[in-house]
Amino acid sequence: MKKNIKQEISFEQQLSRLDEIVDILDAGEKPMDELLVLYEEGINIAKSCREYLEKAEQKIEQLSVKNDVSED
Amino acid sequence: MPNIRKTLTVGELANAIKMLLEDGIGYVSVTGEISNYKLHSSGHRYFTLKDASGAQIACTMWRSRQPGFDMKDGMNVVASGQVTAYPPQGRYQLDCSSIAPLGAGELYLAFERMKEKLSALGWFDTARKRPLPQMPLCVGVATSATGAAVRDIFSTLARRMPACRIIFRPTLVQGDGAAEDIANAINNLNKTDCEVIIAGRGGGSIEDLWAFNTEIVAKAIYSSKKPVISAVGHETDVTIADFVADCRAATPTAAAEIVSPYTAADLLIYLTDIQLRLRRSIISSFEERKREFMQIAQHSAFRRTAEKVLQLQQQTDELEMRSAAAMRRILWTASKDLDAIERRLMVLHPLSPLQKGFALMRHADGLMFAANEMVSAGEHIILQRLNQTASAIITETDKSPIITVSNS
Repeated sequence: MKKNIKQEISFEQQLSRLDEIVDILDAGEKPMDELLVLYEEGINIAKSCREYLEKAEQKIEQLSVKNDVSED
Repeated sequence: MPNIRKTLTVGELANAIKMLLEDGIGYVSVTGEISNYKLHSSGHRYFTLKDASGAQIACTMWRSRQPGFDMKDGMNVVASGQVTAYPPQGRYQLDCSSIAPLGAGELYLAFERMKEKLSALGWFDTARKRPLPQMPLCVGVATSATGAAVRDIFSTLARRMPACRIIFRPTLVQGDGAAEDIANAINNLNKTDCEVIIAGRGGGSIEDLWAFNTEIVAKAIYSSKKPVISAVGHETDVTIADFVADCRAATPTAAAEIVSPYTAADLLIYLTDIQLRLRRSIISSFEERKREFMQIAQHSAFRRTAEKVLQLQQQTDELEMRSAAAMRRILWTASKDLDAIERRLMVLHPLSPLQKGFALMRHADGLMFAANEMVSAGEHIILQRLNQTASAIITETDKSPIITVSNS
């Protein structure tokens, strides 16, 4: 469960990291070694994002009724 | 000579008055202000209509008639009905068959007053509207647990973005205490880790939606730290909450669509595209490096030591091998993805009905028939079944065709 929440928080960040990697790879200016490392990272992120989306099931958490108005 | 009249009983007199009123005045529409309004437990409504002259008339509205709005003392209304008498109390009254707020109606005026007031306070300023998160993965929902709105929101999100977690705060959305409860719900949701709040309800009359026109709800939206999307009623229903909210959704379903601008399906397509781009880039980088190495190796072959050339060649080979290993890995994952896609496509495949015993009819040359294409007698066709293909000749093209089949 904890792991799941972590994944949710970082999903958007993972996507932006993926964008970053694609840009670097497209430019192709870094040494080949680095490009290969980035390539692997990119593929792994894409894979984990895919899994996250494909396995996701709707989670509904119900909040109990509390009175908060007085706190303002 | 004195006019000698017949002596009447009280009942006779009361009835005579009743008839006089009913025949003489009959069905009328009257304007006035409501006072002494009482909704009896029987469902009947009793009130008085009065005007500035000080005149008043008792009114009733029986349970079988509904006013269509929330009647309150002080409202100016136009009531239509039959003037009649109530003999047991010796008084006359108007039996209302319909009643409506006079002119623009009190609620409308109250709405306009609230709109002016909050607008003057700057609560509707576009400058203070907060941007909505682009890809929220946790959404707060404040609406009734029993209405269509909550079902619409849940099902829309389940379809578009099941990864989006929902924090639902069941909320009273009409009647006594609704305004306070909506405000509470928005405050409660602000303390959770939702990224955006949807507050709303399904359609209804202006009275049903009234809680969303109150200052307490407007204030809760205004003070919310998280962006709020109002989703009240239908396209045509506009409430104060809509003006204060960071975004107004025409319906609860639309609100769920707004918080899921990217659907899971969109994102999966995007990810596939990214994977392809990564692969293309790494291959082209590799090809380019290889070309460069080869050029250097060839051009300086006579000036550099043989050792250097060998070194470069070895580097090239190493890269090629590593790249090949990475390529094998990606091809392996890609083929797994393809399997999954294939399985999904199978369901939609035109041949899948064959599994259930249906046959597919083709022209003799193997082409499929268009849905509206006619077949004529004497024509050769092919019938494709799951484990068998048969050629056939159409003998008749009647409504109940008979087909001669010979196994091929």
